[in-house]
Amino acid sequence: MRLSDLSDIQIDALREVGNIGASHAATALSQMVGKPIQLSPPTLDLIPQKEIPRALGGPEQLVGAVYSRLLGDIEGGMLFMAPRDASLALADLMHGREVGTSKSFGRDEEALITHVGSILASAHLAAVARFSDLNVLPATPAFALDMAGAILDMATAGVGLKGDTALLLRTNFSDEDTSIEVILFFLPDQDSLDTLLGRLGVV
Amino acid sequence: MAAAITFGDFPLIHPDTIEVGVGELALAQHPKLLITLALGSCVGISLWDATLKQGGLAHVMLPHPPESMPTRDLHRFASVAVPDMVRLMAEKGSARRRLVAKIAGGAAMFASDTGIATIGDRNVAEAKRQLELLNIPLIAEDTGGGHARTVELHLDTGAFRVRSYLYGIREL
Repeated sequence: MRLSDLSDIQIDALREVGNIGASHAATALSQMVGKPIQLSPPTLDLIPQKEIPRALGGPEQLVGAVYSRLLGDIEGGMLFMAPRDASLALADLMHGREVGTSKSFGRDEEALITHVGSILASAHLAAVARFSDLNVLPATPAFALDMAGAILDMATAGVGLKGDTALLLRTNFSDEDTSIEVILFFLPDQDSLDTLLGRLGVV
Repeated sequence: MAAAITFGDFPLIHPDTIEVGVGELALAQHPKLLITLALGSCVGISLWDATLKQGGLAHVMLPHPPESMPTRDLHRFASVAVPDMVRLMAEKGSARRRLVAKIAGGAAMFASDTGIATIGDRNVAEAKRQLELLNIPLIAEDTGGGHARTVELHLDTGAFRVRSYLYGIREL
């Protein structure tokens, strides 16, 4: 399934869900760190799961990732990913430090990125739930720093065999001087995606 | 350890390299080289015949297909990929008794999520079970843990080269 297979109403609804999710996440993150954090309206794409590693720069690309399994009416997972350097820059941004200060992933950076990924995923899911009138919550987030392809294997194996399509949302974190691109994947199984698309824009 | 997190030192991919995608398998003969990238919970299963200097590599995602599975992409499953690879090797002249196996992968990338943490272990167990059923000796493995692996099978020596960000290069 591709974005072009969807109706204009469905695409608009998905875009609106993404915008609301990003805007709520930005508010939450700003409150968390006590200074304004902006998140750009996400660009949206629907791609086969096989093509995801390419969107990240290849299967061996070293990424920071946060995975949350979905609970409730939708089966699947939410996966936050950013290349290693972008993840470290994001940790600096959240700390109010100059970007480039963090050189490696310590427990502190790991916890911070897990938190950011989790807030982004939760805000998006809350918007999904509101638009579709479905009950959906994220399970406890888990962090990994490793090859993008391997992380994705795990996340999609968790979805099972029916998940072929991923909804990809690209967004930029920024303050006055810095802009950092991150990606959020919404990986529902095929039945859940069909249910969701059926409800979007018509509920 | 942090300083070692780079791919800069790894050798360039050999021009004769055949890449095996996720859920696929491939056979080749020396001087070709088989590679599969970024195994997480997936398992890379290699077979090698020293006499003909040829071998096979599979990248399996799950132990076995569910009952209701439509018959597509069956090489994703260890229970199908292993016997199929052995059969295809036999068609290329590699008798089963000459084959030796090496495997790598089966990690738990997100150990704290109990729902998916065991997939790697189950993949490894099924790969071993299939090899045992076919009487093919498993002579080396680098499995489990929490890190991703890329593997290369060198068909002249049967060397199984495992690369990871955590440990660099290990040769099995």
